[in-house]
Amino acid sequence: MFHVKHSGTQHFDILVIGGGHAGIEACIASARMGSKVALITMDFSTVGRLSCNPSIGGSAKGHLAKEIDALGGAMPRIADLSGLQFKMLNTSKGPAVWSPRSQNDKDLYPLFAQHAILTTKNLTVVNETVVEILVQKDVVIGIKTLSNEVLLAKAVILCSGTFLNAVMWTGTESTQGGRVGEQASQKISDLLTSHGLTRGRLKTGTPPRIDRWSINYSQLEPHHGDEAPAPFSLQTHSVRNQLACWATKTTSETHDLMRDGFSRSPMFTGLITGAGPRYCPSIEDKIFRFSDKSSHVILLEPEGLAANTVYVNGFSTSLPADVQDAGLRSIPGLRNAKIQRYGYAVEYDFFFPYQLTFGLETKAIKGLFFAGQINGTSGYEEAAAQGLVAGINAALMVQDKGTFTLQRSEAYIGVMIDDLVNKNTEEPYRIFTSLAEYRLLLRIDTVYDRLLHHGKQLGLVEPAESERYEREQQLKTELLTDLRSSKVTTAEVNPYLESVGEDPITESTTLVNLLKRPAVCACDLLNISGSTFQTVRNEHPRALHAAETEIKYEGYIQQLYRDVERFAEQERMTIPPTFDYNRVNSLSTEAREKLKRINPSSLGQASRIPGVSASDVSILALYLR
Amino acid sequence: MSLPNLHTDTICALATPPGVGGLAVIRVSGPRAIEFCDQYFVGKTSLSEAETHTIHYGWWVVEESRVDAITATVFHSPHSYTGEHVVEIGCHGGVFVVEQIIGSLLRAHARLADPGEFTRRAFMNRKLDLTQAEAVADLIHSQSRVGSQIAARQLAGGFTRRLAALRQQLLDVIGLLELELDFSDEDVEFVNRSAFRDSIAQILREIEATTASAHGAEVLRSGFHVAVVGYPNAGKSSLFNALLQRNRAIVSDIPGTTRDYLSETLFIEGYAVHVSDTAGLRETSDQIELQGINITSSLIEQSDLVLVVNDASSGFTNSDPLVADLRVRFPEIEIVVAQNKIDLVTSETDSPQSLDSIRCSAITETGLQHIREAFFDRVRKSTSSVSDVLLNSRQMQLLKLAGNDVRSCQIGLEQGLSADFLAVDIRSAIRLFGDITGDSWNPDVLDSVFSRFCIGK
Repeated sequence: MFHVKHSGTQHFDILVIGGGHAGIEACIASARMGSKVALITMDFSTVGRLSCNPSIGGSAKGHLAKEIDALGGAMPRIADLSGLQFKMLNTSKGPAVWSPRSQNDKDLYPLFAQHAILTTKNLTVVNETVVEILVQKDVVIGIKTLSNEVLLAKAVILCSGTFLNAVMWTGTESTQGGRVGEQASQKISDLLTSHGLTRGRLKTGTPPRIDRWSINYSQLEPHHGDEAPAPFSLQTHSVRNQLACWATKTTSETHDLMRDGFSRSPMFTGLITGAGPRYCPSIEDKIFRFSDKSSHVILLEPEGLAANTVYVNGFSTSLPADVQDAGLRSIPGLRNAKIQRYGYAVEYDFFFPYQLTFGLETKAIKGLFFAGQINGTSGYEEAAAQGLVAGINAALMVQDKGTFTLQRSEAYIGVMIDDLVNKNTEEPYRIFTSLAEYRLLLRIDTVYDRLLHHGKQLGLVEPAESERYEREQQLKTELLTDLRSSKVTTAEVNPYLESVGEDPITESTTLVNLLKRPAVCACDLLNISGSTFQTVRNEHPRALHAAETEIKYEGYIQQLYRDVERFAEQERMTIPPTFDYNRVNSLSTEAREKLKRINPSSLGQASRIPGVSASDVSILALYLR
Repeated sequence: MSLPNLHTDTICALATPPGVGGLAVIRVSGPRAIEFCDQYFVGKTSLSEAETHTIHYGWWVVEESRVDAITATVFHSPHSYTGEHVVEIGCHGGVFVVEQIIGSLLRAHARLADPGEFTRRAFMNRKLDLTQAEAVADLIHSQSRVGSQIAARQLAGGFTRRLAALRQQLLDVIGLLELELDFSDEDVEFVNRSAFRDSIAQILREIEATTASAHGAEVLRSGFHVAVVGYPNAGKSSLFNALLQRNRAIVSDIPGTTRDYLSETLFIEGYAVHVSDTAGLRETSDQIELQGINITSSLIEQSDLVLVVNDASSGFTNSDPLVADLRVRFPEIEIVVAQNKIDLVTSETDSPQSLDSIRCSAITETGLQHIREAFFDRVRKSTSSVSDVLLNSRQMQLLKLAGNDVRSCQIGLEQGLSADFLAVDIRSAIRLFGDITGDSWNPDVLDSVFSRFCIGK
């Protein structure tokens, strides 16, 4: 529902500032939990924009997207609706790293996002520029807009993305981000700083977009979606692939041409001081740092069905326009490439996330929540997951209920927020599977087992919505029982075993026993045993995959459950909130500073803070005894 | 530097072994250590005015009566063993004197230290890390000169460095694996499986070599054990006495845990060799003697070497049935046969079957040097694998578990398991290494990855 202008003050429960991927989740979740919510955005038509990749998911990010689905978030459904190609990545790499990814239509994604917002009850959209966050005695009370209107609320969720003090760079030319809002953003950033919040500066970049008709496709290798494309969301029944991506490579000529432009790069000339991400380096960074490599992979991703532009994945750059032109045209297939929009780098303010609680509320200002890039993260999925958690917690705060947090052993969202709170962000934070201690438990096929009950409890997943999951769950249980009880004879199974290079058996055995062998696969066994579950493979591949993984890797999974218990034990070793670290003189100076700043609630949490060594934690443990 | 104030109380304890000895040292540590001692110390200067690391002669005076003439060594925090103020009181070793001094300190409100409390304070004040603290315990318990040297090196941190190097190798491996997992859809150099297999095999070899040296380490820590066995009247006891007699001056008494056999310690080239005289072995129905023989069996089990004493005067092969029986029952334990009473052999009707056979006589002392050399030879063999690492049982246990993890990774690699499972094993091994050295495992895998590898997006 669009906001109609009133004179005077308006009251809300929650104000969400910014309609990026964090803001979308925050406003929808909190409104669905019953709060009266306003989304404040400078321009509603830009809500849900895919400002970088036309893509959702990928390694570990796909896990986040699935977790958002299990918690009743919006992103997975929007991604399914606007998806043009669906792919499960890493299927040859082991179940823990299977990760869904989609190519999306950059024109459709925002439309579906906006539709989701407009159809949510209790949610009002305000097209306005925020000029001030109102704080009284360290408690947030609302905001003031450019047109001098005051909106009062019990909680404010700031999802401003890269908007705070943004500077855009192409070559040595810079433009201040977002003209009108520029002064306002400076003011907001300074105001937060005056409340004792510490800010830093980060950089992110985006590659050029080229005209899709200027590419010579005959020289390129197509990348298609999966044969049986699977949606992100439990609510989506089916999705289909509608287009291909195209792969090519930089050449040594490209590298030479770009090297010539280094003298005019804002990175190399020191104009940009913010730290950029290591894992998503600009092409100039890659050429400079890995000078022995003569080629880097480039993936050409169409931005939409109707869009004329193609995203040049792997070619993020802030070099001058003429260098970008020359460099691109030295790449096979791109000889005649026409750049529609040059690549650029954005430098922006963020606030160190150790200043947040696990519910993403700032410790300095009660009722003020941060989500997304303002916390130093990078990526749509990271932002959306934080927006969801902030929205949930703001709604719980309004209802005077406790904090909603997820454990590291429970979800990638838990890993990410724990990392944000405990670790010092020196570069944009991106989720990786390697960050999860219990990666093998946080698989895609366990996501609904892990999180759906939270979604239901919070009221974000309707009972009817989880029916499909419960059916699959039931099927998985029956399947496991069948595999445990059904036996095959030597005659039935030995030819198969030999064909896959496994030793033959000498007497009848259960399917479970055979399935534990590395080369044996569940669907083959079901075929051989003539099981009634043969059809599961086609109808419910998720249930079959989950059951197979559970059996095959039982030993590893059990070991990790034991590790989780030990982890939980360390989390239960509490440190009193008022503990005075100054009393423990033998802590290292760095450790004491970090401990005072983060104020961990347990020895387990303390042990995860970089700069706090095992000795420091032991000393604390001995001291607290 | 400020005074560590982790502990507000001051502790004291006798630092040298209790009992009658020439000298005793009483250690006092804590914020009020110097002040407490000053209440009783009467010397040229008061200890409060003494510089750090200085030694002072004077009297310990309690209620105007002189208890003993003592030396007081003053250490100021943080430059002391515990990191706190420390006074070490050197006094005469009698029980009475020590009790008087400690009693007076307790009246001044010092507290009697708990076992290991000085070292715990040293750890909490960062004077020692975990392995160093463990090495202190090993040093105290070490039975041999070489063992002490290794424990001392460990105290200096050598052990930690070696384990840290192994842990670093594992971190390098996990770095590669994680790289493969995190960026498999992107532009990276993948893990070369054969190089991966090689480094896993190499790490495993090192872990196994380290655990294999554990037996030798145990010999260094607690000494080499020899059981002297034989038929009755073969001359075991006289040989036992003869072996020890020459070294009477350096023989130390080890309080017997059981009264049914006699055990004494012989030092050969700085190594402790514990020799146990046992009840004679023979078929018997006598209850008491049976019990003695049962004890002998369990003693043999715990020995590193069995010395079978044979009465050569009744035939060189006389004890061969016993040797054969021992070989069957204790196949792992080495046997040396002493052909005793060689001086009584007049005509040789048979010849010794065993190669490890030494002609000797307890009476004439013929061949005793050969027996000692045989002991030394075995000691050297069993300790030769111990280079610079002395594992205690806790470390040993963890290292074996880490070895199991690495082996599991090796098997998984052979079976073609995916990297996410292999990573579980390696991560677990790294954590166990961290548990040994006292380092936490900070999965800062990405840092090690990005310092060396090319990632594209």
